[in-house]
Amino acid sequence: MLIYFLQRLVSVIPVALGVSLICFMLVHIAPGDPLTAVMPVDATAEQQAEMRAAYGFDKPLPVQFVLWLGNALTGDLGTSIASGRPVADEVMRAVGNSLILAFFASAIGFPLGILFGFLAGTYKNGVVDKVITGIAIAGVSVPNYWLGMVLVVIFSVSLGWLPSMGAGPGGSTEWAWDWEHLRFIILPAITLAAVPMGIVTRTVRALVADIRSNDFVTALYAKGLMSRHVVAHVIRNAAPTALSVVGIQLGYLLGGSILIETVFNWPGTGFLLSNAIFQRDLPLLQGTILVLALFFVVTNLLVDLAQPLIDPRIRRT
Amino acid sequence: MLMKTLRTAAIAAMASALMATSALAQGTLRIGMTASDIPLTTGQTDQGGEGMRFMGYTVYDALINWDLSSADKPSTLKPGLATEWSADPADLTKWTFKLRDGVKFHDGSAFTADAVVWNLDKLLKEDSPQYDSRQAAQGKSRIPAVASYKVVDPLTVEIITKQPDATLPYQLAWILMSSPANWEAQGKDWNAVASKPSGTGPWKLTAFTPRERAEMEPFADYWDKDRVPKLDKLVLLPLPEPNARSAALLSGQVDWIEAPAPDIVPQLTGNGFTIVSNTLPHNWTWHLSRVEGSPWNDIRVRKAANLAVDREGMKQLLGGLMEPAKGFLPASSQWFGSPEFVPTYDPEAAKALLAEAGYGPDKRLAVKALISPSGSGQMLPLPMNEFIQQNLAAVGIDVTFEVVEWNTMINIWRAGAKSENALGTQSINFSYFIQDPFTGLIRHLSCDLIAPNGTNWGHYCDPEMDALFKEIRGTFDPEAQDVVLQKTHEKYVNDALFLMVAHDVAPRAMSPKVKGFVQAQNWFQDFSPITVE
Amino acid sequence: MASIGTSIAASGPPKAVVRSKGYWSGVGARLRRDPVALVFGTFLFAIIGAAIFAPYLGLQDPYAGSMVSRLKPVGTPGHLLGTDELGRDMLARLIYGGRLTLLLGLLPVLFAFMIGTVLGVLAGFVGGLVNAVIMRTVDVFFAFPSVLLAIAISAALGAGIINSIVSLTLVFIPPITRVAESVTASVRNLEYVDAARISGASAFTVVRVHVLGNVVSPIFVYATSLTSVSMILAAGLSFLGLGVKPPEAEWGLMLNTLRSAIYINPLIAALPGVMIFITSLCLNLLSDSLRTAMNIKD
Repeated sequence: MLIYFLQRLVSVIPVALGVSLICFMLVHIAPGDPLTAVMPVDATAEQQAEMRAAYGFDKPLPVQFVLWLGNALTGDLGTSIASGRPVADEVMRAVGNSLILAFFASAIGFPLGILFGFLAGTYKNGVVDKVITGIAIAGVSVPNYWLGMVLVVIFSVSLGWLPSMGAGPGGSTEWAWDWEHLRFIILPAITLAAVPMGIVTRTVRALVADIRSNDFVTALYAKGLMSRHVVAHVIRNAAPTALSVVGIQLGYLLGGSILIETVFNWPGTGFLLSNAIFQRDLPLLQGTILVLALFFVVTNLLVDLAQPLIDPRIRRT
Repeated sequence: MLMKTLRTAAIAAMASALMATSALAQGTLRIGMTASDIPLTTGQTDQGGEGMRFMGYTVYDALINWDLSSADKPSTLKPGLATEWSADPADLTKWTFKLRDGVKFHDGSAFTADAVVWNLDKLLKEDSPQYDSRQAAQGKSRIPAVASYKVVDPLTVEIITKQPDATLPYQLAWILMSSPANWEAQGKDWNAVASKPSGTGPWKLTAFTPRERAEMEPFADYWDKDRVPKLDKLVLLPLPEPNARSAALLSGQVDWIEAPAPDIVPQLTGNGFTIVSNTLPHNWTWHLSRVEGSPWNDIRVRKAANLAVDREGMKQLLGGLMEPAKGFLPASSQWFGSPEFVPTYDPEAAKALLAEAGYGPDKRLAVKALISPSGSGQMLPLPMNEFIQQNLAAVGIDVTFEVVEWNTMINIWRAGAKSENALGTQSINFSYFIQDPFTGLIRHLSCDLIAPNGTNWGHYCDPEMDALFKEIRGTFDPEAQDVVLQKTHEKYVNDALFLMVAHDVAPRAMSPKVKGFVQAQNWFQDFSPITVE
Repeated sequence: MASIGTSIAASGPPKAVVRSKGYWSGVGARLRRDPVALVFGTFLFAIIGAAIFAPYLGLQDPYAGSMVSRLKPVGTPGHLLGTDELGRDMLARLIYGGRLTLLLGLLPVLFAFMIGTVLGVLAGFVGGLVNAVIMRTVDVFFAFPSVLLAIAISAALGAGIINSIVSLTLVFIPPITRVAESVTASVRNLEYVDAARISGASAFTVVRVHVLGNVVSPIFVYATSLTSVSMILAAGLSFLGLGVKPPEAEWGLMLNTLRSAIYINPLIAALPGVMIFITSLCLNLLSDSLRTAMNIKD
């Protein structure tokens, strides 16, 4: 058991290294001058060279990578070109906001998905199943950025019920758990929850249907056992896989919300990322991608580590 | 009973909600900016004209300010932190600035001649402790004339220019004064100053969340009592996405948005919002290449193209939110003069000119134009350019487009028409900030500013024009200088040196609750007289 | 939008099934009996067919705009589905737009299917160092959420159709490689494949006859389910301004450029999104039906 944990932990190191290399390289194959966006349009060639040296862009790539990685290990992701603020601060503030959003999207998407999936799997091929499968497929198929726009038009502009953008009346620094602030999160959270809800529903439905159809459960039924036991059995067997799907979706929620955050002006990582892209803010782009990817790696690791705790079959192997 | 309690509770909740909104409306103005971040707060702002508008002339002052009080006439310079200034008649490179007495920064420290020198060092003197590369990147290129400067007495500063240059006051209107004492108090760290800046301006920055929000409150001790803000609070929100900006206004999250998309304007006015706009010293043009072999070297071709564009038709396309160009500068500019050539819509005259130049139905002229799908000040570049393409095709000029991203376009613009990067194009669709003599006229066509040394993209060089530029710099009497500037602009138009198309009108949409705003014919605006009901 | 990778994680790799002769005709018959497959399949074929034969449908020029007839509502005479922000016919643009959008859904998956299958079969069949190198590299790419990876690569390469295809292909190679590797590894140990190898068949023959035959179809089914993801992602890239460039007709880009019209003419502005939604719905439903018909367990 301990050995399994250690093995998993160690195996993460090369992945993390590879991830950081990709983050670094991605940004450097980008065409165009990263400093264009920050210099006044009529800056002289001399000023441009000065700026380039100040940001270390005049050094060879491998040197830049080693320096960048070394700094990253100490928590220093460099300075944003566009804002002049430390990238680590920018990303951490944004991660905090994205986590709030991911939390609400999870709170909506996962319970709903599990409930739907359980119902559909239990009454497979019935009317309930048909309806739920339809909803789930719609959730998976909908371009969520479009869904977000439609929701804004309906609930913010036409009905005026909910705000259309931002993280609370006073910005994210004044976030509080009251209705005045929660109103701001409803639309983006629902939009973001659509896809994971669909995926979780489909997965749980398949799992439940599969477990129910196997001989053991059929035998339980035949013995006339109360369905409460059957349900318990199904849950026990479905939980590990469901957990891993939920874990992975959580990682996706954080990294995949870029379009939603853009639509709702939600000051999270996705919003930061799209700003970084369009301002060609290389340090910010690198830092944001790195943090998001590493977060995803860690989420997956945690899911893997949690698996044997709830799934006796893995523990044995 | 239960119903009654519920109803009472509901009424109470509604009442408190109403009170909350009315409390919020008590003199708070919330503005949705187009920038994606709060502009640099330490003094010399970034984010171009918008940065200066919201974080520059609000929190800070320059030695010489723009007079933003009138909507009817082009804005002029007026005394700011300096009360008077003049160049020494015996040595025209030597300027003396008398400073305003009794001016205090927000932190309570006094504004003195030392502060002026300290601020210039901040931008120009790299080994000074307060040198800030971020502010320098924004400010240095604004004051190319400045050679040296020194304190004469606590309220007098002397500035020496590299050569006689009468445009110095316009250059100094860019340079904002931050508090040296505050920088010391914040541990001599500009990053710390950023969240607690201190200037002399009418507004104090009170709260600041990067990328999300900035809040300002009036500075009661502002030196110009007439410009102490009437509002309780000014809130700035960066909303770069036009749709999000409009949605925020429509759903009441902001009271004012910058640059609503033309398509949304009818919806906004239909919902009772006001659209405010005014002439802006801005120019949306095709900067023509004058490199050898360019068809634009022929004045008849240049005039023909200028006569072929249906500017009124384009104005309709933009929902009325543009001013059709009558010259390079807006017609209301004090430097417009009276050019003989009038770029009206006259396709027949255009065809005649083209025929004269040797083109006709069987020998159509083919030109290649550089455009970008978006960009700051570019208005709606794609539809506008496609519209011009149709107009020019109608008189016998076939345009093919090279479409590049805005940042690429800026690089090509820096590199010049002769550079390989220009992809063999014969014009670049650019938008110019044309508020003062240098940015308005000199920089585009001066021989010594031919790209990549400067911003004369088209490699135009005419001794006659250069003589005019020299005269502008050497004419120290403002009124006489205006006359030279008029002559220069007349030459711009008479020689049809650009494809003159449109001026932006800086549209902003606001809630009817916003009162007292006067939109100056300027990139900067005054927020002091505004109230919100 | 984030569904890739999950179907693997959720269900493990598709099981290799030894196929009998008549298998495909059985699949076809089952599909024909499935009403969902029939209805949505027909719908999908109509969309694809319209896109392919767009030039022969007597549509208006999707690029010819008219400034006087901008944003006309649905049902305007001469413009059945109205006009867009440059006065171009929406019907023509939606049908022509299907070409690029569908292509951006199909091509990356197709390329990733080919590359990923080769890599996966290679890794699974050869094993050892080759397996380690390929699979560890795949692990690294897998460590990125798909949306993030697509956006990051597109941001690096810049906008454009080719760049979108490249970035999406790179996004889909890792999951397909993983599936291919695990299916191959399980096939490799089947008795008759062992027997073939012992009897002296060359490695190539074994792969071609025994491995590919059993591996390709489960991967293929998996790949079809990726098509809708690919399409939504590609449209998302265009929507962000990282994909197809104007004036091309493509649903994501149309959604982007029509955004400013959403308050004036919401129906017109929503249409490209509706098209993406419907097409993706059809693809997903069809992929489900195919899965059931081919007896592949989720």
